[in-house]
Amino acid sequence: MLDEELRGSLTRKIAGIEHPRELVVDVMFALQEHYGYLSDEAVREAAELLDMSPLEVDEIATFYTFVYREPVGKYVIHVCDSVICWMGGYESLRDHLCRKLGIRLGETTADGLFTLLPVCCIGYCDRAPAMLVNRQVYGCLTPAKIDEIVAKLKDSAHMSGE
Amino acid sequence: MPKLIIDDQEIEVASGTKVIQAAEQLGIMIPRFCYHPALGSVGACRVCAVKLLEGRLKGVQMSCMIDAQDGMVVSTTDEEAVDFRTHVIEWLMLNHPHDCPVCDEGGHCLLQDMTVSGGHGIRRYLGKKRTYQDQYLGPLIRHEMNRCIHCYRCSRFYQEFCGYRDLGALQSANRTYFGRFQDGILDSPFTGNLSDICPTGVYTDKPSRFRGRRWDYQRSPSLCIHCCLGCHTIATGRYREIVRQEARFSEAVNGHFICDRGRYGFFYANHEARPRRARVAGDEVSYDQALQALKAKLAEISKRSGPGAIACVSSDRSSLETQAVLKRIGRMRGWRNFSGFMPQGLAQKVQLAVARLEPALSVSLRELEGADFIVVVGADPINEAPMLALALRQARRKGAAIAVIDPRPIALPFDFQHVAMVPGAISLGLGLLARGSPDEAAIEKLGPPVSDFYAALPTPEVMNASDQKRLSPLIRDLRSSRRPVIVCGTAVGPATVVGLAADWALLLQAVGKKAGLFYLLPGANAFSAGILSDPEDTFEKTVEGIENGSIKALMLVENNPFWQFPDRARLEQALARLDLLVVLDYLNSAAAQQAHIFLPTATLYEIGGLFVNQEGRVQAAQRAHSGGIPIAQSGGGGHPPRIYGAGVPGAEPRPAWRTLAELVEEVVPPDEARMQSEVGVWLAEEDPRFADLPPFAELPEDGARLNHKRDGASRFLVNWTAELQKSRGFDDSFELLAVDWTFGTEELAVYSACLKALERKPGLLMHPDDAGRLGLTDGDEVAMQLDRGTLKVPVGVVANMAPGVIVLPRHRLLEWQRLACGRIRLERDRIRKAASPQGPKP
Repeated sequence: MLDEELRGSLTRKIAGIEHPRELVVDVMFALQEHYGYLSDEAVREAAELLDMSPLEVDEIATFYTFVYREPVGKYVIHVCDSVICWMGGYESLRDHLCRKLGIRLGETTADGLFTLLPVCCIGYCDRAPAMLVNRQVYGCLTPAKIDEIVAKLKDSAHMSGE
Repeated sequence: MPKLIIDDQEIEVASGTKVIQAAEQLGIMIPRFCYHPALGSVGACRVCAVKLLEGRLKGVQMSCMIDAQDGMVVSTTDEEAVDFRTHVIEWLMLNHPHDCPVCDEGGHCLLQDMTVSGGHGIRRYLGKKRTYQDQYLGPLIRHEMNRCIHCYRCSRFYQEFCGYRDLGALQSANRTYFGRFQDGILDSPFTGNLSDICPTGVYTDKPSRFRGRRWDYQRSPSLCIHCCLGCHTIATGRYREIVRQEARFSEAVNGHFICDRGRYGFFYANHEARPRRARVAGDEVSYDQALQALKAKLAEISKRSGPGAIACVSSDRSSLETQAVLKRIGRMRGWRNFSGFMPQGLAQKVQLAVARLEPALSVSLRELEGADFIVVVGADPINEAPMLALALRQARRKGAAIAVIDPRPIALPFDFQHVAMVPGAISLGLGLLARGSPDEAAIEKLGPPVSDFYAALPTPEVMNASDQKRLSPLIRDLRSSRRPVIVCGTAVGPATVVGLAADWALLLQAVGKKAGLFYLLPGANAFSAGILSDPEDTFEKTVEGIENGSIKALMLVENNPFWQFPDRARLEQALARLDLLVVLDYLNSAAAQQAHIFLPTATLYEIGGLFVNQEGRVQAAQRAHSGGIPIAQSGGGGHPPRIYGAGVPGAEPRPAWRTLAELVEEVVPPDEARMQSEVGVWLAEEDPRFADLPPFAELPEDGARLNHKRDGASRFLVNWTAELQKSRGFDDSFELLAVDWTFGTEELAVYSACLKALERKPGLLMHPDDAGRLGLTDGDEVAMQLDRGTLKVPVGVVANMAPGVIVLPRHRLLEWQRLACGRIRLERDRIRKAASPQGPKP
């Protein structure tokens, strides 16, 4: 269920524009923020808010990489698999991440900390190979650098009591 | 008009024609998946590649995306283009499961054809294939996503063409998935077309699943008789039953598609309960015995009480041949012939529509798509004639403004303006629009009767402010329109509206607009029933005649008054008084079960037949199979019983017209072909409108329109004083409207088990104001107290309908006939909340 505050702010925002469906991505992100991912319930709520059908919302939700239709971990790692990163050794970095976290692409670690997903180009080609963790970008990756980043993220999760 | 050369052949085409269409005109079928003439081009599948050799553009190009241009030289056989297509096919086939042996599409699969013709006979790809989870899409369509080649035809058809919003393209790239948000029955009443347009086996026809391959079937051109539009179908027969129906292209009527009621409504013809033996006094007898008994009985009654004591009732689902023979023999013997229209006043409206549809006004369903302003009056397109809604949507997509003036809650798959008015006020609304439509100076010049008609039109003051406000934007749209069309129904509005629609169209034409008129009628052959029935007589009068003893014998030809007559109790009493009740039908109806003499008739699938659609278009259906008990029934799944005899088991039903002709020996022609030409002569004698028809065997694919006679006498006759009176409505009571729904109210299609799941739950619909006054909320159970009993129904409270009106579907699950309702008044205190078993809620 959406709380009244969020529903109210979204409704106001939607009422302010001529074609409500233009806000579909904003609404999906707001609901994803609220639920942790875009649940079926959230799709229905977004549809209702925007006067769209759930299918129409889902068509857009499932098209975009950064809209999660399944629960994800605290940190979502998007490792770039585009051509520049591939030339820079993306495959071995991906394999390193998988070994390190004990998961495959598309999976979440048992402790709920990390989800590993591919992404096709994050515009960081000048510092390839690159990855994105919760919208924070990391470039010029090496296995050692990845170990460092993962360790740091684990620490900060422990600090916040996870 | 660009001229171009395709494969060394020159052709001139209309500008804007795509190369793929131009090639088609030369008989060259360029491979295609995503391109469909009704959906247009998107260039998604890349399989229609050709090479442009000369002209501004050169090299390999997608023929569906390129406009034909002067000086273009196109090769479809160029090595580079062929090689390109071969690779596209191979690439589209990478993930395909190659499950043709268990796929229902196999044998008529575009993907199979293209794969073979593209030269991709041997698979090279050895990797893993992508797989999907399929969804449950309802009882009509089976989903098998693994076979998909991502051409997008389904989602484009479903969303863009039809305007429904619950099936589409999910995910992206190689994982693109066509389906719904969740498993469930598809919302659209046009879903069956998915199996026709899918180029492979992603959407296959569920009711005919695993029943046969294309080459096992007998397929023949047929017609849909589940509403008045006369859409073209292909009937598919196997083992003495119809197993499937597909849409058949028609340039003038339905285009490429048909609705689900029409596609799946055929199961009545195979139904286990279908009567196949003649009966006399309840005992099964041979056909000849029944016929002899009938002849003797009719002669006896005719001798005793005169031929006028025998009444014949035709129907709007009978073929033109049957209606014509009934008319003919009735005339020869002096029997009375009544129209089969049951609801009060309907016969009059149909006959008025038939008379007023002048050739200069009439537009076909496809022509309607070209209108730029459409007013729908007293019609509910999606419920009465679903394909009309689809045609309206195409007009809307091209920019037409569409308004619906109707008291019912109207839902359509596009945006339109709904002006919900009580039926009595519709003519005023139309009159107001007519007044606002043209410029007055032009009218003055025309002189009477047009100027008189215009001068008498009501002024805005006669209407309440809110209705006026809702009509004024329509007037603006109408003034700027060039091709306005008036779509006029016959179900709920008063008869004046039918005439007024034609008058208004004439007025618009008089001021220089290319105006059209499109009537909706109550049944497949209502148009000819309207012409051939005695204008003064109605079924109501038949019942009166029985009640006063002047009618002793009643012959119902493919007509079941128990379904349509709005007063069941009165009907039962009347039929019980008859000396003779004869029923000729292919349905095991309540009337058939009560008949003293019953003769089984054949359906259009077994004999073909002529049907006249609502624009007076005479079209022919051909025989799809030769009748008999379906082997699935007689054999119970195994081999049919080994009974030796001549003829097909269970093939006793004969064409109704044949049985009727045999009642009057001098009519019987020796063969069916002669019979048809004979019928043509009789029809021409009966009504001059039939005189110009070509011989039935030579009817063109899209039929031939009847040559309407101009009925100048009935033009411009509206008594506005009386209309003002009617428009006031009923202050202290409701107007009860018995209406049709897409599924559940059409007599033939309710025999289809697969359509039952698509029916909405029937209930009594009313406006929130009325519900509030009665203390009712949505979902409450109410008891309607009527003179003839009580009907308990759930209430649906809907805002998009007229206050003062209550709407009840003529649904198979409701005994609405007990209400004695047609269009009647009902005092408000007759509707009460039904006491719940637990007692009243606090």
